[in-house]
Amino acid sequence: MKKRVLSFMMAGILAAASLSACSGQGSATETTGSAGQTTAGETKGESKAAGETVIKVWTNDRHDSEYVDQKIDEFNKTNDKGIKIEMTVVTDDYANMLSMAYSSGTAPDIAGISAGQSGFDLKTFADAKILEPLNDKIKDADYEKVTEASKLQYEGINMIDGNVYWIPTGMRSGVRMEYNKDLVKAAGVTEFPNTLSGVVDLAKKVTDNGGGKTYGIAFTSSVPFIRWIEGTCETSGIYRYDYKNGKFSFDGYKPVIEACNQFIKDNSVLPGSVSQGVDAMRAQFAEGAFALWGNASQEAGVFTDQFPVTKFDWGVSTVPTLDGQVKGALSIQPQKGYMMLSSSKNKEAAWEVIKFFSSEDFLKGYLEGGYCLPISSYMSGVIDTTKTGRLADFKLQDYESVYPAVPAVAIQGDDYVATLWNAILGNVSADDAIKDLNKRYNEALDNDVSMGKIKRLVIKDFDSMHPNAGTIEYSDK
Amino acid sequence: MKEKLSFGERLQKSASRGDFSSALMLLPAVFLLAVISIYPFCWLFRYIFYDYNGFTAYYIGFKNFTRMFQDAVFWRSVLHTFEYAIMKLIIILPLSLLLAVLLNQKIKGSGIFRGIYFMPTVISSAVYSLIFGFIFAVYNGVLNAYLQKLGMIHSPIDWLGSASIVMISIVIVAVWGGFGNYMILFMSGLSSISEEIYESCKMDGANGVQSFFYITLPMLSPVLKVILMLAITTALKDYESILVLTNGGPNSRSEVMFTYIYKLIFGSQTTPQIGYATVLSVMAALIIGVITAVYMYFARKLDDVV
Repeated sequence: MKKRVLSFMMAGILAAASLSACSGQGSATETTGSAGQTTAGETKGESKAAGETVIKVWTNDRHDSEYVDQKIDEFNKTNDKGIKIEMTVVTDDYANMLSMAYSSGTAPDIAGISAGQSGFDLKTFADAKILEPLNDKIKDADYEKVTEASKLQYEGINMIDGNVYWIPTGMRSGVRMEYNKDLVKAAGVTEFPNTLSGVVDLAKKVTDNGGGKTYGIAFTSSVPFIRWIEGTCETSGIYRYDYKNGKFSFDGYKPVIEACNQFIKDNSVLPGSVSQGVDAMRAQFAEGAFALWGNASQEAGVFTDQFPVTKFDWGVSTVPTLDGQVKGALSIQPQKGYMMLSSSKNKEAAWEVIKFFSSEDFLKGYLEGGYCLPISSYMSGVIDTTKTGRLADFKLQDYESVYPAVPAVAIQGDDYVATLWNAILGNVSADDAIKDLNKRYNEALDNDVSMGKIKRLVIKDFDSMHPNAGTIEYSDK
Repeated sequence: MKEKLSFGERLQKSASRGDFSSALMLLPAVFLLAVISIYPFCWLFRYIFYDYNGFTAYYIGFKNFTRMFQDAVFWRSVLHTFEYAIMKLIIILPLSLLLAVLLNQKIKGSGIFRGIYFMPTVISSAVYSLIFGFIFAVYNGVLNAYLQKLGMIHSPIDWLGSASIVMISIVIVAVWGGFGNYMILFMSGLSSISEEIYESCKMDGANGVQSFFYITLPMLSPVLKVILMLAITTALKDYESILVLTNGGPNSRSEVMFTYIYKLIFGSQTTPQIGYATVLSVMAALIIGVITAVYMYFARKLDDVV
């Protein structure tokens, strides 16, 4: 009799457990425990409803969490609107996590975003109605004064068809070259070269001088082409998209591929660097293993805090161009914007939080901490640049600008970053790589345009030096 | 002559046999199987004719199929999958069998060794692949440092970045992670062979090696058949450790079928191409199914040995 009762109890527990496991879809995935009381924070002038409004914010950046967490604490304690911000850092698979959270009903109210976020396509998210357009809200006078939002609307980057989804509050500079001043001086070079062939020679000189211990240049396994070589292409007037004719054209890359292939032929590249991750290479730069490195303004923080360079003096230079002259703008990435998700139940409160993150008080400390460069001229004027450390070396050149977003096509096979890098390594000839890229990218573009997925971008009066100043047209064929 | 039972009598008969209670007990498992395995499998077939990016699906007919047949990277990855599976199986199966035979003897410490060799199975493959990534590293890598100290090499070897040896490194990690598992399976098979047979063959004057080939192996054949099938299908489906170690390797050298499919959906280089990935998964499943069927055909003789 006892055994029977016991077995019935076990069966009952098992059934209950399996049923609850099947139905408990969204509730187990909260990272921060509470689904606090939420009340509509809409009332203005009426007395505040009881309870507080919890606004969930996601961000992809962990490097600034010290400052941001501290400011959030202050806000939570002192704000008079009953808003409590809960911040979650999601570093991996950001775009995937957002779309999965949205489809399962656990999406945050606000998601931080920067241009160039890998895997994230604004148009896909906008078309799926996941994001809330902010056009009316950004007209707020205070907001406009600090962020200059009306000047920072880039089609395809933070705006689709006139709907603005986020406004950047900072930017990442264009790419630069960082170099070991001691090694360069020891190789007998006094001024950093401004031509690509000059840099190739410099790398060779440093390697010859290094006697097998120190090398001229190093790359990395993680998208090496965009670290500085793409910057050289842009400033030499070479770009992958032909805006005037509305198609992809990779022909201009041939001289750059051949010049960079010379690094490999000269053996000036640190052995094994091509297959190692970014952080391993940064560590070796800090050890003085090689002289030339390339990356954008985030290296200021990296070489000051993450891998402090103490053994030598390091300098920053603009990227070289093909012939020493600047023929095109260097692309910069607008960063640190905040998107509101359409599934948010407290849109007014969420807007207050966005205003807080874009306020002068928040941004002044953030930009002075050197976490990124200011993007609005108002903030540039307000901050004290002596506090930003090495970030000052990465200050904006007058030929840096945002490029209009290239149509995002679903290509088959490797993207242009991987293919061009393959050609630089010498695994495939420059001509073959260029022909292959032209074919695949234009086929995908024609295909996607004919299916109605995207529209062809044409800027008939495109000017390489002022890429964002032309008239943007969209074509259906 | 059997008379036809009425419906009520048939119900009573099956109740007394325990049909209802067994059906009820099977229900949770069948339900879970349907929801977690069968439904997603059918869901796949919705998307093989579409270009689906996770949000909107565009009908494209047979384009996914024509693309698959022209996709050189995919077919190269199929080749790499076979290369990986063959290399892994050639090493792991004899090794596990040898260790199982050695540790089956009642010598001191065999229990401890069994536990140690089984531990890699308990650790997640992503975790130990991450650690092996550090061991195989060129700069500050453990393995290179040891080999250099021992004087066996002069400059660090690029274990995971050089196209010629990346597959060997991956197979080393796979063997390390899997042999404990197969060793335990073999040991359970060995334990079913009775001692008397060994005694009688010892009396006939057989030494260790002879008794292994003439007694152990034949008696293991039904177990061997099952283990071999498991090993083959697992080796063909392995992708997590390769993804963590090399992410497809230098210039797609270590790309296997499932890393390619995974990157089409979850990779950061492209918006998700779920429709195409679905077609590739169906193809990959077909390939593994064919290989398993071929294996079962050749292995049916193993059942007749004992």
